Amino acid sequence: MGKILEIKNVVVGNEEIKILRDISFEVEEREIISIVGESGCGKSITLRTIIKLLPQNLNILSGKIFFEGLEITKLKEKEMQNIRGKKIGMIFQEPSSFLNPLFTIGNQIEEGINEKVEKDKKKERVIKILEEMGLSYNVYYQYPHQLSGGMQQRAMIAMALINNPVLLLADEPTTALDVTTAFGIISLLKNLILIHNLSIIFVTHDISLAKYLSDRIFVMYAGIIVEKGPSIEVYNSPLHPYTQKLINCLPEKYNKGEKIKTIEGEVPSFKNLPLGCPFSPRCEIKNKICEKRIPPEIKIGNRIVRCFKYGNFMES
Amino acid sequence: MNIFVRLRKRNFISYISLYIIIFLYSLAILADFISPYPYNKQFRDTPLCPPTKINFFDKNGKFHLRPFVYEYKLVNPSLNKYEIDRNKICPIYFFVKGERRKILGLFPSRRYLFGVKEGKIFLFGTDMHGRDIFSRVLYGARISLSIGIIGVLISFFLGFLIGGISGYFGGKIDNVLMRLVEIFMMFPSFYLMLALRAVFPLNLSSFQVYLLIVIILSLIGWAGLARIIRGMVLSIKEEEYVLSAKALGIPTFRIIFRHIIPNTFSYSITAITLSIPGYILGESTLSLLGLGIQEPYPSWGNMLSVCIGNLRILSNAPWMLIPGFFIFLTIICFNFLGDGLRDVCDPKNW
Repeated sequence: MGKILEIKNVVVGNEEIKILRDISFEVEEREIISIVGESGCGKSITLRTIIKLLPQNLNILSGKIFFEGLEITKLKEKEMQNIRGKKIGMIFQEPSSFLNPLFTIGNQIEEGINEKVEKDKKKERVIKILEEMGLSYNVYYQYPHQLSGGMQQRAMIAMALINNPVLLLADEPTTALDVTTAFGIISLLKNLILIHNLSIIFVTHDISLAKYLSDRIFVMYAGIIVEKGPSIEVYNSPLHPYTQKLINCLPEKYNKGEKIKTIEGEVPSFKNLPLGCPFSPRCEIKNKICEKRIPPEIKIGNRIVRCFKYGNFMES
Repeated sequence: MNIFVRLRKRNFISYISLYIIIFLYSLAILADFISPYPYNKQFRDTPLCPPTKINFFDKNGKFHLRPFVYEYKLVNPSLNKYEIDRNKICPIYFFVKGERRKILGLFPSRRYLFGVKEGKIFLFGTDMHGRDIFSRVLYGARISLSIGIIGVLISFFLGFLIGGISGYFGGKIDNVLMRLVEIFMMFPSFYLMLALRAVFPLNLSSFQVYLLIVIILSLIGWAGLARIIRGMVLSIKEEEYVLSAKALGIPTFRIIFRHIIPNTFSYSITAITLSIPGYILGESTLSLLGLGIQEPYPSWGNMLSVCIGNLRILSNAPWMLIPGFFIFLTIICFNFLGDGLRDVCDPKNW
C-alpha cells in the first residue's frame, strides 16, 4: 500500500494565534483514519488545511502537504480546484446546511461532474451513485429540505464521491444524526472503501465510533496530535493522559449508578495557550518540564505519543 | 409550467396580475392591429371628443345584434360641447378595411381588428388635436411597458455583476466598486436624470431618445441594487453550502452566479418587479418635462403630461387621464406579481 497523503510539520494560524502546531501524519491507500478530540481542538481545521479551504484569517504558515506525491501547499487556487471534488471529496457535519436549498439533489451532484459528458449520461451516473448510497431513484428530483437528515448525508456522500476521489474527508458526518442512521452511514463508508478504492479521514468526537470504524486513531488536543496508533491499541491501552481520560469518560466504561464523568477544566483557548504541553493544566501527572516545553513525538512500538511521561524526560 | 400552477395555488391575486400583465403586453405588441386609427391620425373636427358609447338599443328601443355607435357632433367649438346625433347609426364591424400599414413593421395589411365604416369610434375619446386616445394608449404601451423591462434587465445585470463581485471578493475590489456606487448614489436621482438628459441634444429621433432614457434610468437604478446584492452576497458566501461547493472544486465565478446569486432571488425578484414601475414613472417624469419621448409619438407619460397643469382639460375632458389609469394598473399588477413570485421561487414553500 502506498501513501496517498503525507503531512509534514504543518503549522496553521496567523500572526496572533496558531491553530495547528506541528501536525504530521500520513494516510495510506484504503485506510480509514479517525481524528478524535474535544470540540475546538483543530480537527476540522486539519481537514480544511488538507483541502486548502481555510477560513480567511488563517494560513498555512509552514510545513508541507503531499497528495499523491504532489506538493499541494504550493499549488495555486486554480490548480487546487482541479483536486477538490475530483481527487479529494469532503462531507460535512450538518448536511442540511451544506446542500444548496435552491437546487434539486440531482442538479447539485451533476454540477460536480467535471468531465464534459452529455446530460443523459450525467443523470445516469448520478442515479447510479445515489442508488449505491441506498437512496431511491426519485431523490434525484427532490430538494434538500424534502429529505431526512440521513438521506441528506447520503446525498452529500454521493456528491463527494461522484468523481471517484481517492480521499474522502469526513467532518463529523454522523454528529447530527441519531444512532441508527449514523450506523447506516458508517457501514456505508466502510463498504465504500472496498468499492471505490478510497481512503477516509474521519473526524469525530466519539472515540468508540472511531475504534469501530477506523484502522488508526489520531487523538488531537489544542492543535497538536497527542497520540497516534492503531485504533484497537489506542482504545484498549491509551498512552497519553488525555486519551486515557477521554476513554474513561465513555458511557460504556461506567458502573451502574455512577455519575457522568468529565475531564476537569476546559480546552485552552487558542489565544492563551499554555507555554508547555497544552494538556498540562488539566493533567494529574504533570511535571515541571510539562509546563515549559511541548513534548516531542515519542515512538513506542507502532504508536506515537506526545507526553513526557514516556522516554527519559521525567527525571530532568 | 409548474411555476404557474404554484402561483395560482399560493397567491391567486398575483396569478391574475400575471395575466393582466400578459394581456397588457400583448395589447402593446399588437397595437398596430387592434387600434382603430394610427397614433398620429388627427381628426381636426372632433377635438376633445368624449368616449363614444357602444349601444345595442337605438332610440326606439329596438335591439341590434351588431353593436353600433352614434355620431358625435361638435356644437360649440369654444367650449368643446358635443351632441349625440341619435338618428345616425354607425355599426361596428370586425376586420374593417382602413389605411394600409405594416403590423409589427413586417406584415402589410389594411385590416383593423374593429372599426366603423362611417362615423368615428373613439373608445377613450380624443385629445385636443382630435387623436384617438385608445389607439395612442396602445402605442404608448409599447414605450412604457418595454422601458421597464429593458431598464430592469440592464440595471440588474450591472447590479448583480458589481454587487456579486464586490461582495464575494471583498477587500480592495470591494472598496473601489462601492465607492463608485456611492458616487452614483450621492446625487439625488431626479437631478441626475435631468443632468444626464441635458448632456444630450434635444433634437434626437424618437428611437434615440428611447434608448437614451432606458440607459439613463438604468444607470440611476443599478447602484442601490448593487449595494444590497453585495450585502446579501457577503452573508451568503459564509453559508455552508458555499463551502461545500468549493470543496467540490467548482470554479469561483460559477459559485458566485450559480450558488450565491440565486439565493438572493427571494429579495431580488421582488425588487425587480417593484422597480419596473419606477422605470415607467421615470419615463413619465421625463416626458412630463418634455425631455422624454417627443410628440407625436405617444407614451403614457407624455400623454399625461399634456393634461397636467391644464385645469380646463382636467375638468372638461377627464378621459385624457386614462393613460394614468394604465400606469396605475401596470404598477399594481407588477407589485402583486412580485409578491407572489417571491413566495413561489423559494423551494421551501412548495
